[in-house]
Amino acid sequence: MNIQEYISSGIIESYVLGLASTEESTEFERLCSQHSELVEARKNFELALEEQAMQSKITPPANLKDRIWTAIRETSATNTPKIITMESRPGRRSSTLGWVAAASIILLLLSVYLAYNFYNQNKELKGSNKDLKEQVDKMAIEREITHDPNNTVVNLVGLKGSPSSANIYWDSTSANVYMIVKNMPQLPTNKQYQLWALIDNKPVDLGLFDAPKDNKVILKMKNTQKADAFAITIENRGNTGGPHLGDLQSLGKAKL
Amino acid sequence: MNPYTKYTEQELVSLLLQQNDQAFSYLYNNYSSALYGIINQIVPDKDIAADVLQDVFINIWKKISFYDENKGRLFTWMLNIARNAAIDKIRSKQYQNSLKNQPLPEIVNSIMANTVVNPQVNDIGLKKLINKLKQEYQELIELSYFQGFTHEEISKLLNLPLGTVKTRIRSALTQLRTLM
Repeated sequence: MNIQEYISSGIIESYVLGLASTEESTEFERLCSQHSELVEARKNFELALEEQAMQSKITPPANLKDRIWTAIRETSATNTPKIITMESRPGRRSSTLGWVAAASIILLLLSVYLAYNFYNQNKELKGSNKDLKEQVDKMAIEREITHDPNNTVVNLVGLKGSPSSANIYWDSTSANVYMIVKNMPQLPTNKQYQLWALIDNKPVDLGLFDAPKDNKVILKMKNTQKADAFAITIENRGNTGGPHLGDLQSLGKAKL
Repeated sequence: MNPYTKYTEQELVSLLLQQNDQAFSYLYNNYSSALYGIINQIVPDKDIAADVLQDVFINIWKKISFYDENKGRLFTWMLNIARNAAIDKIRSKQYQNSLKNQPLPEIVNSIMANTVVNPQVNDIGLKKLINKLKQEYQELIELSYFQGFTHEEISKLLNLPLGTVKTRIRSALTQLRTLM
């Protein structure tokens, strides 16, 4: 494709003004991640459009700002995004089970008594895990995530032309980590995305995930008390090793 | 709030994500009149346009976490929210009824009525620029951008092949660009 011809075809204006079809928009976004000159041309048009709008201002009614504030306070917590709990999806409990297995081997080696103990412990763990899940009421989570003043919001932006972006909602007191995926392209079936917390320059695994079919879903990730930054990489499905930093997709600092 | 504070878009988005009141205030002070201008070009009635602007700011506040900087600037995102909200308004039954209960097949007439009854909205913003385009292009931009008709609907309304509608809108937009 001749990118210059594409740039002058009217697609940029069409996309920015919201007149492009879904197929045209998808193609445009894909090409933007490959051609920086296309992004540049898009930004130029956006700036021209903004300037145009700034020249045609009309002052709204004086009391409108207060009216909006009142309305915002009254109607908070009304939207309810879909929630997918990472732990409840098949094939994604490997890390918990891995720990359980590792622990059980050590315990078995130590003694039968300990193994018996562990069995009870495991049962208890499963029970409390189940109870926990029931407590995680969808509405409560959503409200907690978007309205909890303790939550730090970390904006993960795509690197090296990657369109991947997400917001992390992280509460360093409870250590809960939620992620709202804004844009994650689908991967080949043998690959998965992985979220990492960077703590003192060391990556700590916060969970593998597939690109959600429907963007804007909330994913519950593994907890972390500390994090200097969050990062997303592409890994082999079920990766148990460290991150392939060469495949770093998105990055965001936890402290502004 | 310090009136001289100036945020970059990225700072503004980060603060809005944290539901920062000052960031909202900044957003309103800097962008409300530009967005009101856009809405007015679609919804000529000032009071109804103010209601739309209210919905737009509530939506920006609630949906800021869905804004994706890879897809465009914050202003573009807000502009599209405003345009869509304004078009939803003029498409609503309530609004159509207020236009003297015209039956739906006469929607084209109501479009013309809109333009004639409120000539003052034609002399600002994009509408002003569009007046410089040739008649055929003006009509296409009016129907697609300001009235929100799909290419398919326009093809039926104007009795033109879909391909022609698409090509002409693209040409109209590139010409519009040269006028900006």
